[in-house]
Amino acid sequence: MKAANKPKEKFRKRDLISWLVMLPSLVLFAFFVWEPLIENIRLSFYSTKMYETVAFTGLKNYYLVLHDVDFLAAFKNTFSYTLWSLVIGFFVPMIIGVLITETVHLKGFFRMAVYFPNIMPSLATIWIWSYFFLPGATGVLNIIAGKLGMGPYEWLNDPKWTIPLIIITLTWKSAGSTALIYMANIASISPDLYEAATIDGAGIMQRVRHITVPSIFGIAKTMLILQIISVFQILYEPMIFKNGGPNNASISLMMLMYRYGYRDYNVGKAASLSVLVCIILVILSGIYMRATREKEN
Amino acid sequence: MKKKLISLLLCGTMIAALSACGSTESAAPTETETVEETTTATDDAAAETATEELPEVTITLGMYPEDTLVDDIAVFDGYIATYQELHPNVTCVPAYYKYSTDTFMPMVESGNCPTIFESWFTEPTKLIAQGAIADITDELEARGWLDAMNPSIKDLLSDSNGRVYGVPRDGYALGLMCNVELFEAAGLVDADGYPTLPKTWDEVAEMGKTIKEATGSAGLVLLAQDNAGGWHFSNIAWAFGATELCKDNGDGTFTSNLASDEAIAAMEFVKSLKWDYDILTADPLSENWGTGFTQLGTGNAAMYIGANDAVAQPTQVNGLPVDKLAMTAIPAGPGGQYSLYGGTPYFFSKDATPDEINAALDFLEVMGKAPVATESSVAGMRAGAEANVANGVPVIQGFPCWVNQDYLDAQASVVSEFSNVDTKLFQSYFDATASKGLHLEEPGSTQDMYAELTKVLQAVLTDSNADVAALMKQANDNYQTILDSTFGAE
Repeated sequence: MKAANKPKEKFRKRDLISWLVMLPSLVLFAFFVWEPLIENIRLSFYSTKMYETVAFTGLKNYYLVLHDVDFLAAFKNTFSYTLWSLVIGFFVPMIIGVLITETVHLKGFFRMAVYFPNIMPSLATIWIWSYFFLPGATGVLNIIAGKLGMGPYEWLNDPKWTIPLIIITLTWKSAGSTALIYMANIASISPDLYEAATIDGAGIMQRVRHITVPSIFGIAKTMLILQIISVFQILYEPMIFKNGGPNNASISLMMLMYRYGYRDYNVGKAASLSVLVCIILVILSGIYMRATREKEN
Repeated sequence: MKKKLISLLLCGTMIAALSACGSTESAAPTETETVEETTTATDDAAAETATEELPEVTITLGMYPEDTLVDDIAVFDGYIATYQELHPNVTCVPAYYKYSTDTFMPMVESGNCPTIFESWFTEPTKLIAQGAIADITDELEARGWLDAMNPSIKDLLSDSNGRVYGVPRDGYALGLMCNVELFEAAGLVDADGYPTLPKTWDEVAEMGKTIKEATGSAGLVLLAQDNAGGWHFSNIAWAFGATELCKDNGDGTFTSNLASDEAIAAMEFVKSLKWDYDILTADPLSENWGTGFTQLGTGNAAMYIGANDAVAQPTQVNGLPVDKLAMTAIPAGPGGQYSLYGGTPYFFSKDATPDEINAALDFLEVMGKAPVATESSVAGMRAGAEANVANGVPVIQGFPCWVNQDYLDAQASVVSEFSNVDTKLFQSYFDATASKGLHLEEPGSTQDMYAELTKVLQAVLTDSNADVAALMKQANDNYQTILDSTFGAE
């Protein structure tokens, strides 16, 4: 009996020190993360006046959100953003990472060059791209297309292309930082493997296929889910490029939430939409984790 | 020993710092402080009887000009100096705030709302419902300003119980601003050299085409980036006969009427401006209220819907010479001629005390924005007009948001004294807006209606094959859904 209690007591002492170490972080998390999250869920069930709750309204806010005239467009677009970001944006940083790792000369320059767009202020990036995408004869891309005897094109004003083009700008800006993570991962692969493969006569494609790709598979899985979560919450790019237009072609769920909160001053409705977004992301993450676990097994 | 000394020193410093934090009184005053205190005490005793009745009040002024408008700041600082001579118990704190729906609520919630600030006439219903602005009925009544306010403007600034929440800065009527240089370059001038300004929307299309062919600049700026697009479009729709885009059912509910034949015809016309006449700027979907004035002022476009209270935008802000701006009425269409009539209101912080509200209303008198023609008020009007002349801004007549004759006379006299434009360039605008063509903004959830119309504008300006009737039907259905969820079903 005594012998059984002893390790438990020891564990408690160790535990106390650990808890003490964690205490400042826990307090910060409680105030700045968990409390707002719980408060947000509570708000979503109330009618509000400014940020104050007025009356419990049950699921009314959810009903209003789901019946909003812009909800369906925002919902579809948000999935479209996510899908296009996987098609366009997922493999680009991986390819950049592999290419720079294989580069012999000017490696530092290329590393800096791909990361450079990341340090530019986001608004500046969008404005620069806006000049590129300007329809009519004065847009940079249309000038180039004109020299080649093509165009002019409508670019972002063509609803079919608005989301893919926004994703291209997003990829241009953020692929560099993700590529650095892949490069760090590739750098941790033992050089012996590459040397051995080279001696055995493997070319660059075979080395990438049989050594690099399997080695970065783990980190790629993490990056994929992070990318889905991040792109699902896209807000300011569509807002600044085209204010959600043309005719709702680029409106996202986060934009809709922003409008509820800051244009209509309807915090309860904004909170309920954010809870819905959270639920969707939890479901997507769950499906993904399950799928990858099954594959691993 | 050394370590002990350091420890003692550190402890001493900590104790000193802690006691400094805890202390509310400073140590013994220096010689200078003692002298100053004695002098101040004597002055205070003398002044005490004079200011005994007046409470100390601090007001923050949201209408203070933005940093870049140096000349306007100088004029405004003059208002503050005059005001503080008249009201020494009031401290004025400049707190520039340009109203925007994005920033307003967080600002109010954080307790940083200026005592007085400018907003839009589409906002009162929402702001009153949220309890975000102060009820100033009692203060206005005590001053006799309620009767002086233009009744239709008073309605816009009141709740359903008739309580008033704001005062108008000035009224405006939308018109068509024209860049005279481009009209001259395209040869659109009469025998006397005056620009021949369009009277109908068809003339806008034709003249726009002529200007584009002759100068390469766009004929017209049409907005389609945000709700301002729908705001401007409502004028075109009225001209095509869709004079009631939203019907007030009288029982608190509303009916959307965006899919009428007239409204569809107006949207078809807008579509033709892009795809048939091709007179618009490169990307109307990137044009908003501010960029429109930039296009007009910098000569990238010849015509733009604007109001008399925004004449500083193309001139002072964007460099168009004062004698190169002309204004005409909103063009007529098959349904007649209508100009949207509105104004800029001042609202007051929900946290403002009656003393602060009164102090802010007194400040409006000094600015010449109150319905009084006192010496300081007229001086304020003159200072404003003088600054406009110095900055190359047309000094033109405003629209009556107050109806008391002494105020209107004083305003007319100041405008006539400082007039710096050829009135013929503005005559057709004032003739039309003095007639019955003035139209208040549509009732209902107006900003949502503008949002729905803007979506249609975006669709027809980006797709030459857009089905206008179907898009307007969709907009109508959407707007009705919004009206029903906001005000209840019919």
